Amino acid sequence: MSDYSVIGKRVHNIDGTEKVTGSGKYTFDVVLPNMLYGKILRSPHPHAKILKIDTRRAKRLVGVKAVVTGKDTLGRKQGIWRRFPELCDEEILCRAKVRYIGDAVAAVAAIDEDTAEEALDLIDVEYEPLPAVFDPMDAIKEDAPQIHEGVELNININRHIEWGDVDEAFEKCDHIREDKFKCSSQAHVCMETHDAVASFGHNGKLEVWTSSQSSYYIQRLYADMLDMNESDIRVTNRHTGGGFGSKFELDSAQFCAAILSQKLCQPVKIVLTREEEFTATKRRTPMYYFLKLGAKKDGTMLAKEVRVITEGGAYTAMGATALYLTGFFSSFPYKYPNYRYDGYRVYTNTATTSAMRGFGAPQSTFVGESQIDMMAEDLGIDPVEIRRKNGMTPNYEVPGQAFIQSCGLHQCLDKIEEHIEKRGKLPPNHGIGVSAYGFMSGGIFNWFNTPYAFSAAVVRINIDGKVDVYTGTCDMGQGSNTTLAMICAEELGVRLEDVRMFSGDTGICPPDLGAWGSRQTLMGGNAVKMAAAECKQQLIEFTAAKMGVNIVYDLDIKDRWVHLVDRPERGVSYFDIVKEAIRGKDGVAIMGRGHYTPHRKGMISPAYSFGVQAAEVEVDPETGRYKLVNVTTAHESGTVINPVGIEGQLEGAIMMAGGYGFCEDQPMDEGKILNPSIADYKLIRSLDMPETDILEIDTYEPEGPFGAKEAGEGLTNPTAGAIGNAVYKAVGVRIYDLPITPEKVFKALKEKEKQQKKAKK
Amino acid sequence: MINDFEHFTPKTLKEALALLAKYGDDCKVICGGQSLLILMRQGLVSPKYIVDIKGISELSYIKDDKDGVKIGATTTHRAVEKSAVIKKKYPVLAEMETRLASVQTRNWGTIGGNVCHGDPAGDPVPVLIALNATLTVAGARGTRSIPVENFSLDYFEVDLKDGELLAEITIPPPPPRTGAVYTKFNIIESDLATVSVAASVTLGAGDGVCQDVRIALGAVAPTAIRAKKAEKVLKGKKITDALLKEAGEVAATETEPISDIYASEEYRLELVKALVPRMTKEALARAKKA
Ligand SMILES: Cc1cc2nc3c(=O)[nH]c(=O)nc-3n(C[C@H](O)[C@H](O)[C@H](O)COP(=O)(O)OP(=O)(O)OC[C@H]3O[C@@H](n4cnc5c(N)ncnc54)[C@H](O)[C@@H]3O)c2cc1C
Repeated sequence: MSDYSVIGKRVHNIDGTEKVTGSGKYTFDVVLPNMLYGKILRSPHPHAKILKIDTRRAKRLVGVKAVVTGKDTLGRKQGIWRRFPELCDEEILCRAKVRYIGDAVAAVAAIDEDTAEEALDLIDVEYEPLPAVFDPMDAIKEDAPQIHEGVELNININRHIEWGDVDEAFEKCDHIREDKFKCSSQAHVCMETHDAVASFGHNGKLEVWTSSQSSYYIQRLYADMLDMNESDIRVTNRHTGGGFGSKFELDSAQFCAAILSQKLCQPVKIVLTREEEFTATKRRTPMYYFLKLGAKKDGTMLAKEVRVITEGGAYTAMGATALYLTGFFSSFPYKYPNYRYDGYRVYTNTATTSAMRGFGAPQSTFVGESQIDMMAEDLGIDPVEIRRKNGMTPNYEVPGQAFIQSCGLHQCLDKIEEHIEKRGKLPPNHGIGVSAYGFMSGGIFNWFNTPYAFSAAVVRINIDGKVDVYTGTCDMGQGSNTTLAMICAEELGVRLEDVRMFSGDTGICPPDLGAWGSRQTLMGGNAVKMAAAECKQQLIEFTAAKMGVNIVYDLDIKDRWVHLVDRPERGVSYFDIVKEAIRGKDGVAIMGRGHYTPHRKGMISPAYSFGVQAAEVEVDPETGRYKLVNVTTAHESGTVINPVGIEGQLEGAIMMAGGYGFCEDQPMDEGKILNPSIADYKLIRSLDMPETDILEIDTYEPEGPFGAKEAGEGLTNPTAGAIGNAVYKAVGVRIYDLPITPEKVFKALKEKEKQQKKAKK
Repeated sequence: MINDFEHFTPKTLKEALALLAKYGDDCKVICGGQSLLILMRQGLVSPKYIVDIKGISELSYIKDDKDGVKIGATTTHRAVEKSAVIKKKYPVLAEMETRLASVQTRNWGTIGGNVCHGDPAGDPVPVLIALNATLTVAGARGTRSIPVENFSLDYFEVDLKDGELLAEITIPPPPPRTGAVYTKFNIIESDLATVSVAASVTLGAGDGVCQDVRIALGAVAPTAIRAKKAEKVLKGKKITDALLKEAGEVAATETEPISDIYASEEYRLELVKALVPRMTKEALARAKKA
């Protein structure tokens, strides 16, 4: 299918110029008349009763307009798992108790940020500190402090997934491995911190500008928390400076700005500081992983048993989804005939853990891909070969869970094998590790309890032939507006520059669940494609009538030319037809509506992408320091809509997932995050980036728009595992807990030396 | 939140010293601001008066004199890095600068500010110790000079009295047959050092004996330190791998590293043991070629 005129072309993001020149406006840039600035007071205690909050001194400070506490709220609890009220557990402005260092207790609106910050010091909060617990392994003990009333052993939620007969299958295995791993936390580190400008008008309506991944979720959660009609709330997402999973739940900036604005009927802006961003927003879920894997001598894997305990932090958030997905993706990308997963999410007095790019799968892929390499070594089988033997194939059903249509895993394995061969004999202390993965193209689950279609779009053609697309999808920098505009242009037969995107504004766009779970290309794309097709159909009908073509002919539009498919030279200008068609419709613009909700696609996702990554490291055995030399990824995501977009996703993912594997961490002392700044939180930067390469495999996903599927989060999954395997190949030590720091490698090398000496004796 | 302060921009050293004398304790010097502003933002320092010396042109220079190269205190890192004289005479100094922070920070930050900041993890001081540099400090009552290795007193504390400024850094001409190197161990390129090592080796004429050696370590004690005992292991001898290994072990005993979120105490010691021999060996190789 290479006769696309828009899809598959290398294009830059349609908003790229605005962004790189600095003229693009983010929530951060929004300034309204009479706008006030808000700041939030946060708990210094990991666990404490709030005895009293005295705001009188703060209110007296000149320039302070309002001070609010939990008493000024309806006392409701927010949660994104709305179908399950017991999982809606976060007040945001705490009334009786704080559960982590950073929990919000009061907020101030003042004429400027400095005054607001000064006022925070004048709020007197009397706490009664309670015993706190930080590690999930401690939190599940009988005598651990209870973090949420009535939640026994602090177990927030547990998930079970099972198929086949695992116990019986283990009996038949020739070799069984049991391994323990620990996955660390990770911060999203968006360039734009969480921020919001909330404006509550005298008309009783709320308008909010905010940096978000789902305007619709934020709108709905506001409606819950403020007891308002959804339609009286307009949430607008302008350019968003990164999300990575951190921006689709109601956050403290959004909520406090709205409460303050409601009180004053004046706009209030809150921008979280970088420190708040690190300590008082959500983060990747740390997990304890217990794996049991059984195989036949020939490498056929018969059974896998997975037990996971996750550090939940103070509230549920999206952590329940991470718990489920890490369990599901622990079976990826292999055909285990027998599989069992038990996961427990445990409350702790630490910052809440939730969604982050990959959503549980970077954890499961690190541990699973480490273990499969160990299994291969035990059995004397090549790592690529064992993956080939067990890897998923097209039209495979994950028993009772999911149906996989397109799957290019085996082609990816072939490409990576070729790549490794091409690297030839490696210099000493170099090693290449491989890691295979898969990911979903949007979730099917509806714990949010939306009554709407998962995606929806309206396409309107104006008199000049220019096309407006209205969709509730959110572009958070991942380029979804470009992708969707390309899909629209291709379907409609116009050029990319003819399409203008209106997205993420609940006031004008049909609801869409937003940008998470890698859903927008497939789901948003299907909705946009359908809406564009409806417009096109109207133009074609009109053209057929006007040209008086024989009924046996088909008409199509390509590159602004409405024509007979079999005789492309016979046609008319798209622009002329639009003008006439609108006149013919009594002056009504051409409009099309589209929507998409997955049906009959299992319980997880309508489609899955696959890939295999090879990471090459060079280890300095004297210090344990290693460098990422090269990361090559064989990748399939169905039809590639925009190759530049995929390259951007890949490079960004290696930076993020490489950091996860190599250095990113959030060490704590009694619940206090010790590195809440970009100076102290170690991220991979441009100088640390390895050389990267992408080997794109051609596949076609029947469920996706033009055959496209996920290409966003999945790429975050393989890297930590590939690094771990590469370090092992290079110097023979295996690291079981993330991140794989040079110090851990060094210690493991020393330990290995010791063991070898002992063995010699 | 940064507190309010009064900001002065003297144009000469004399004016600056007068201001410092006048405001004494309540006053802080700022140059590139790359370190001070961070401390002020965190509320760790809150001066009432700030004397901004960045605009004092008489303090920004790199001069090649017969008693060595002189660097004015307000010379930026970037200027040091790009200087032809430095690259020729003390390539190690220019190399060190290329790994100090990012170009943006090097364009603002100054070598004098760095030395006065007294961060034990700073890059320039170990190199300046290895190169045997001297500092010239100016005060209301005249100037005094002090070897760079004595200047740092404790964490973020240097030997500057109220009313004093660092004016100049003097690096003596390198003796013949001398090679010097520097490296820092860090997790992220261009980040501050977890451990750093500078070494300078001078060989005797024709005999290949180590006539002089200077080894300086960063980030393993409250200040950058000179590993004098380790130097002794090597001085006056023909350097061998065994001696280098010993020097590394001895150097480790001269340090008092801490454990922090970047590295444990034990790991820092191990890094010293690994990096001292490695860097000294590199310095030796350079000395042989010099
Ligand atoms: C992002 C970032 C990364 C960095 N990475 C590194 C790194 O890798 N390695 C490294 O070594 N440094 C690093 N630094 C620190 C920084 O480069 C230096 O400390 C900085 O150059 C200090 O110079 P300044 O002119 O900015 O000093 P300022 O911040 O202006 O002053 C620093 C201190 O010195 C005093 N002072 C300044 N000049 C004088 C003077 N002439 N006489 C007396 N007192 C004076 C000030 O009062 C203050 O106490 C980094 C800084 C940043 C912001």
